[in-house]
Amino acid sequence: MGGYGDVKLLRDDGLRLDGRKIDEMREVEIEAGVLPAADGSAWVKHGLNVAVCAIYGPMEAHPRKIQRQDRAVIDVRYNMAPFSTSDRIRPGFNRRSREISKVTAEALESVVLVERYPRSKIRVEIEILAAEAGTRCVGITAAAVALADAGIPMRDLIVGVASGKVEDTVVLDLDKAEDNYGQADLPMGILPTTGEIAFLQMDGDLSVDEYNTCLQYNMKAAKEIHTIMVDALRRRYESKNGGEK
Amino acid sequence: MVELVPKLLRQELNKLAEEDKRIDGRKRWESREITLETNCLYNAEGSAKVVWGETVIYAGVKFEVRTPWPDRPTQGSLMCGAELRPVAGRKYEPGPPSPESIELGRVVDRGIRESGCIDMDSLCIIPGEKVLGIMIDIHVLSDKGNIFDACALGAIAALRTAIVPAERFDIGEDYPLSVSMTPTMCSFTRVGGRYVLDANEKEELGGDERIHITLGDEGHLHSLQKGLKGTFTPAEFDEILQVAQGRCKELANLVNAQEE
Repeated sequence: MGGYGDVKLLRDDGLRLDGRKIDEMREVEIEAGVLPAADGSAWVKHGLNVAVCAIYGPMEAHPRKIQRQDRAVIDVRYNMAPFSTSDRIRPGFNRRSREISKVTAEALESVVLVERYPRSKIRVEIEILAAEAGTRCVGITAAAVALADAGIPMRDLIVGVASGKVEDTVVLDLDKAEDNYGQADLPMGILPTTGEIAFLQMDGDLSVDEYNTCLQYNMKAAKEIHTIMVDALRRRYESKNGGEK
Repeated sequence: MVELVPKLLRQELNKLAEEDKRIDGRKRWESREITLETNCLYNAEGSAKVVWGETVIYAGVKFEVRTPWPDRPTQGSLMCGAELRPVAGRKYEPGPPSPESIELGRVVDRGIRESGCIDMDSLCIIPGEKVLGIMIDIHVLSDKGNIFDACALGAIAALRTAIVPAERFDIGEDYPLSVSMTPTMCSFTRVGGRYVLDANEKEELGGDERIHITLGDEGHLHSLQKGLKGTFTPAEFDEILQVAQGRCKELANLVNAQEE
């Protein structure tokens, strides 16, 4: 959150720089089952972001000390490819990706029926191939579709969405410029059927009213993305049963 | 268990080899189907996605402005690295770069570098002060065998379609990177006692050594590498080199067709 007031992010006609309305999200495309080596996988394009997620497991949990006697542990790795941003990133983990991996794992643990797989581990590998604001949300959406594709039982899908504030106006789904120069960002992981929230982060400056508008926008977007997720999974299973595969 | 499965697989592969068959029904010199897509990632200056059978890789090109090495004041640089991250398969684990991923990156790097397809002097901005560095990063997302050939194809395809972001560096207008050649790699694995082209993951698990050959436009050799335990005879090499000559041309045509 730069919060620089001198960058214009809303046009005179009230639309945003990329022509979207303030409560309009970027285009989302999802495909399930894209990585044959994985037990389940998904590819998500959200605006210009591209994320791929692979699931391995449930498998034996190594080392033994990470095992839980009553449930599976979820091991998330969120990683940005070196070519995913405008300046190349040095390969490897950093503090940011460690934090995102941790909170993403905790969000997924609240939807996956982890108690069905005691002492095991489910590996969730999120790879960001192109980053243009909102990658942690795109990663969560990808992970949910990939988990479902792997046949791992869940209470609900989980959808990653974000809204924020630019030029004192609440907008849905920030793009790169809005993320860099806007005033607030509120990413959430929402369970679309129950409306519960399993992932929450925020930075910037929001009033209570603005927060409520953000929440309302996020809920609306979660429903929209949920339809696309279900559609992707349905296509995947149609092609598995009746199609060539 | 870990030792037993390849042993049983090896027996099966040996039996198939006697009848000159392969485990997935392909002929000895037959490759799996390849789909190549370029310019598929927004923030990379050049990008390629390769689906090679069930193997999936992405390659991305980035540029940086850097100071040249003191002994080569007019030359830019090229670096190619491959990452075998845990996403690529069950057997991959997090941690520092493994010897396998270093070998992969270096073999692909050599094929491109030694072909001379990039004129390092053309990457000079101000002699002794500023030159362009090219970085090719390869991401393996699904390893179902023969990642070497897939990575080499992705790397050269991403490079050949790369645009130098000159405006961002304040050195003029964006322009396509000049790449004078299309070096491509062809790998052979010994399975059931004889070499086959483009081994899948089962053939790799139950097979022996592998040979990687990178050929340029004139069919010249630019990089060779033998990996894993095993030996081969000169006659065997002659045979696979012949196969590689034809195959590399087909792969180069596939890349060149991407550039309209």
